[in-house]
Amino acid sequence: MSAPAPAADRPLPSIRNRVGRAALAMTVAWTLAAAGAVGLVVRTAVDDWMDQALQESAELLYGLLSLPASADVLAQHPGSALPAPPHHETLVWQVVSARRQVLLHSHGAPATPWLPAPTPGHADAAGGAWRVYGLALPGREGQVLYVAQPAGERRRARWSATLLSALAALVVGGLGAAWLRWQVRRELQPLTELSDAVSTLDPLQPAVPLPAARRAELRPLVQALAALGERTRQRLASERAFTAHAAHALRTPLAGIDAQLAVAVRQAPPALQERLTQTRGAAQRLQHVVVALLALFRSSAEPQRRRVDLAALAQRLPVAGLQVHADAAAAVDADPDLLAAALANLLDNAARCGAHQVWLSTARGTGSQRLLVRDDGPGIAAELRTRLLDELQPARYQRPLGLGLMLADVVARAHGGRLDLPEPAAGATGTTVLLDLGPAGG
Amino acid sequence: MRLLLIEDDATLGGGLRDFLAGDGYRVDWVTSLAAAAGLEREPYDAWLLDWNLPDGSGLDWLAGQRARGAATPAIVLTARDRLDERIRGLDSGADDFLVKPFAPEELVARLRALARRSAGLGAGQRVIGEVTVDLHARQVVRGGAAVALTAREWQILEALVLRAGRVVAKHELDALASGFDGEASSNAMEVHVSKLRRKLGHAVIETVRGLGYRVPR
Repeated sequence: MSAPAPAADRPLPSIRNRVGRAALAMTVAWTLAAAGAVGLVVRTAVDDWMDQALQESAELLYGLLSLPASADVLAQHPGSALPAPPHHETLVWQVVSARRQVLLHSHGAPATPWLPAPTPGHADAAGGAWRVYGLALPGREGQVLYVAQPAGERRRARWSATLLSALAALVVGGLGAAWLRWQVRRELQPLTELSDAVSTLDPLQPAVPLPAARRAELRPLVQALAALGERTRQRLASERAFTAHAAHALRTPLAGIDAQLAVAVRQAPPALQERLTQTRGAAQRLQHVVVALLALFRSSAEPQRRRVDLAALAQRLPVAGLQVHADAAAAVDADPDLLAAALANLLDNAARCGAHQVWLSTARGTGSQRLLVRDDGPGIAAELRTRLLDELQPARYQRPLGLGLMLADVVARAHGGRLDLPEPAAGATGTTVLLDLGPAGG
Repeated sequence: MRLLLIEDDATLGGGLRDFLAGDGYRVDWVTSLAAAAGLEREPYDAWLLDWNLPDGSGLDWLAGQRARGAATPAIVLTARDRLDERIRGLDSGADDFLVKPFAPEELVARLRALARRSAGLGAGQRVIGEVTVDLHARQVVRGGAAVALTAREWQILEALVLRAGRVVAKHELDALASGFDGEASSNAMEVHVSKLRRKLGHAVIETVRGLGYRVPR
């Protein structure tokens, strides 16, 4: 039967992953912001710079076209382009007459005027396809020099600057995120080391304290763990002292009751024999329960594992009216006292439920030892079995369960396993209790 | 067998005394170490003692007795059940360790085992010529026929068989067989020994003149 994974077993978000993701998100946001900012700055700066370049180019040509010889050139080749080797022009120019006739233009400039009317200074032409700077030529009857640049050049320049800035931001951000991730891992290493130290910490061994905190943030945690260890140590010492007192206060009177009843059974008249024998049996069951409770109360420490021979153990646990069979070679690695307490209660359960015979056997589990307690009693109804497992598997023990099953489950859990009630095979009778006792030597 | 029981719990001490007496043991029961003072020199077949007593530790008392050379077998009855405590108990000189609560039948079984070990008997029987003494069944068989003994005769024979090969002084034998309630007369002992010899043959109990009696090993 499978149970849903407890909340503690579900994977939790990792600090390193969360910080890494945050750094990555920050990098993307930084890249977008940097690219946007650079784009805005570049747009203005490139426009200013290129407008300035247009103006200076126009002023340079203005000087040349003001020379007397230039008038002849304009008159001799009206509307033509100056000869030039094949090349790509990013700055072009034209000289337009007062009658809107292009007198001369550079190789890449159009043969028609950019602007419908003489326009000095900066202007956009041809629907924004050109950026133009106009300069009236002195003494030339309304002739205007235009120097222009295709708007696409400006866009290319703006995009190149923006993309390169974004790429640089992305590289810096990515490297920063990777460094941050590495740094977080490095900073979390002392936490990992502390976890390792805590996992092997035995509060009962104060001679082996926790390692000193290697980060200021960990110091309160180390101090809190040390305080917790001290409280655990004191509580265990107190519980052990109490257990010793309780053991003496309970065990001696129980032994006295049994001794007195044993004498009474011998000396009583026949009419009282059965009653006294029953009373002694009840007193002995009470002994088993008290001994089991004392053993469990003390078992806050690790179980004291030893090889336990099941046949020998069964002989130590007589239950009136119950025959207990165990394979001669059957043995488990377990705490003999705890196992005896668990079995005593399971055998008592079996007898009270009408079983006459019990078989103890071992079975191989995946890396764990399994002890099977099978009886010839009437068995457990399916509904009751489900209800019992609902209480046992999360170790809730809230609804009435019966001391025997609960004790046996607690003992199994102390060994790293648990109790199960396997479904009976088809046609089989009786009850089978499976005690998983964890790995041998575990 | 004569036993000294040191147990302060009245219910347990009284119950054990009566149960053991019902099985033929002579039990001297005291409830404190002070009350046991001097008794350690008395001949006993075994000491049964509680660990925690009102005036001290039974285990310390036992360790003191062992340091003085006392070899009387001892079973510690205690509520302490931890492994280290059991080890400490055995290291202090206890021959056995019985954790409370226990059934008195188990104590009797352990006493029988203790007696077997002390007397070097594997199966609880001592064969002396044609006589077989079964300490567990409390039976004596001579030449295949059961021999009927009185309670006092059995007590004397049992005390000698448990110490087979060793001379047991008359006063010691009297103390072992009778306890504090026995007949203090030397003549009475001689009469019982004489009757035993008539029933078992003269070779079973030897007289060591001036010292006491001995059963051959």
